[in-house]
Amino acid sequence: MTRAGVFARKELRDLGRHRIVWILGATLALAVVIAVVVASLAFRAQMADYQAYVADLASSGSAVTAAAPQLFPLQLLRGGLEYVEIIGALFAIVVGYGTIAREAARGTLPLIYTRSHGPRALVIGKLLGIAAFWAALVTVLVLVAGVTVALVGGSGLTVADAFRLAIAAAAAWVYLMFWSAVAVGLTATMRRPGTALILALGLWLAIVLIVPQIGDTMDPDNQVPGGLFKALAIAKPDELAVLAHFSHYEVTRNGLEVTSISKLFERISFGFLGIKDKYNQQSLGFVWADMYRYTWAMLALLTAGLGFAVSVTTRTRLLRKTA
Amino acid sequence: MTPPAISTHGLTHTYGRTFALRPLDLEVEAGEIFGLLGHNGAGKTTTVGLLTTLLRPTSGRSTVAGYDVVGQAPQVRSRIGYLPENVQFYNDLTLVENLRFFARLSGLREPDRRITEVLAFLDFEGHDRQRLGTFSKGMRQRVGIAQAILHRPEVLFLDEPTSGLDPEGVRTLRQIVVRINAELGTTVFMNTHLLSEATRTCTSIGILRDGELVRHGSLAAILGAYPTEQALEEAYFETAGSPA
Repeated sequence: MTRAGVFARKELRDLGRHRIVWILGATLALAVVIAVVVASLAFRAQMADYQAYVADLASSGSAVTAAAPQLFPLQLLRGGLEYVEIIGALFAIVVGYGTIAREAARGTLPLIYTRSHGPRALVIGKLLGIAAFWAALVTVLVLVAGVTVALVGGSGLTVADAFRLAIAAAAAWVYLMFWSAVAVGLTATMRRPGTALILALGLWLAIVLIVPQIGDTMDPDNQVPGGLFKALAIAKPDELAVLAHFSHYEVTRNGLEVTSISKLFERISFGFLGIKDKYNQQSLGFVWADMYRYTWAMLALLTAGLGFAVSVTTRTRLLRKTA
Repeated sequence: MTPPAISTHGLTHTYGRTFALRPLDLEVEAGEIFGLLGHNGAGKTTTVGLLTTLLRPTSGRSTVAGYDVVGQAPQVRSRIGYLPENVQFYNDLTLVENLRFFARLSGLREPDRRITEVLAFLDFEGHDRQRLGTFSKGMRQRVGIAQAILHRPEVLFLDEPTSGLDPEGVRTLRQIVVRINAELGTTVFMNTHLLSEATRTCTSIGILRDGELVRHGSLAAILGAYPTEQALEEAYFETAGSPA
């Protein structure tokens, strides 16, 4: 086994033994279950309303028919994904911060660094361990979500659904890994691990909450609850015609949104799961045509995060913490 | 002629503008137990830090086991064992799990077999499944020695190994150090401020004072110069001065 492999195995074991990690993991899983349950109950209420409406129509002798609301099981995952986007990022920061802070606090670094291994073996090993941990947790979340959708929503997932879910899971893995890598890098850079945690939380606030919120606020369609264009009964072609006059504004708004990896994750996962109406029941090719640039952007951000973590987590920096 | 196990030429280290170690010229022959004496803050730990590659020298050069400490650090690391003053382990892991981790980090192919050998050598069997968080200071020091010799180092660095131990622990550790030197042929470089330890364990000593090596030689030569029972104590206070 390589030295990085030794560190990876140790990291994975440490994470598996850590109580806080179990609590945070369980919280995330519970949040996903609750989100699916709530969405499912909402759908059932909608269905009950529809059936009452149909019964009223029938009793009044009306021949008018109404389309039944359709259940798209993957759409029940919207809330769960939002939890991963917000709480998951926080959790990922805690994991990344803990991996370096814990090692420094234990005082084991002098023993580690008087052994012969590559200069980056420790950080690469730790990142590999974290990567395996996220892969395991995301798999568990997908299984929990899939079973909950099947049990609560009363609808099983097809093979095609499972494939789309796998794509969303991969996006979630990239997203969580990015946050952990950034936290590892910041914790290695700062002399006091606590400062790194505060900085990472500041970044989380900006990237997860503030930037997407600004983008949402700037969206003309969000100015009225339910959508401005819908409220004004403006049809889609007319809406696009109106927006064409504000293309620079829209480019700026969109550009701002996609600087946030949270928004990228949201767009990709909402796109492939058909949560956003435009992509619901569309082919993967259709979704990919819109999502590929976001996918590359997200992978580029992950690469940058990992590069940052690997380049700044040096012997000198870590040993200074122990001193 | 066998090259020295440790050799330094004009080795210095500064923290900001403060000299922790003034130009140090020192040679420790292979097979010796060398004791570096000095008051707290004299530069003993800095010296060990430099020789174990944990610190970078401000100037000068040094070799350990024939390899340059800066230019050939990986080779040095694979040939040294190190026990820090306050050795820390993974308290949530058992003795064997801790040693297995460090054995794998040292690249040992059959860690478990080597761990069994080392624990037998240290007369430390029967604690394999115990978590290190439950160990006494003396037991932890023995684990520290075990991790330090797992990969059969040529040179073993011990930083204040008897610090905080009770008399029984001190004696056990002293016997272990002597056995490692005699039976495994390992050169030992030991920091201590306990003169009695140096007298009973070391074959040569050096005395540091404010980062400067003020005396260096075989124990026999130093004791010979002071024909009293407290020979080393006299030599120590004469050269190292009284503690501040």
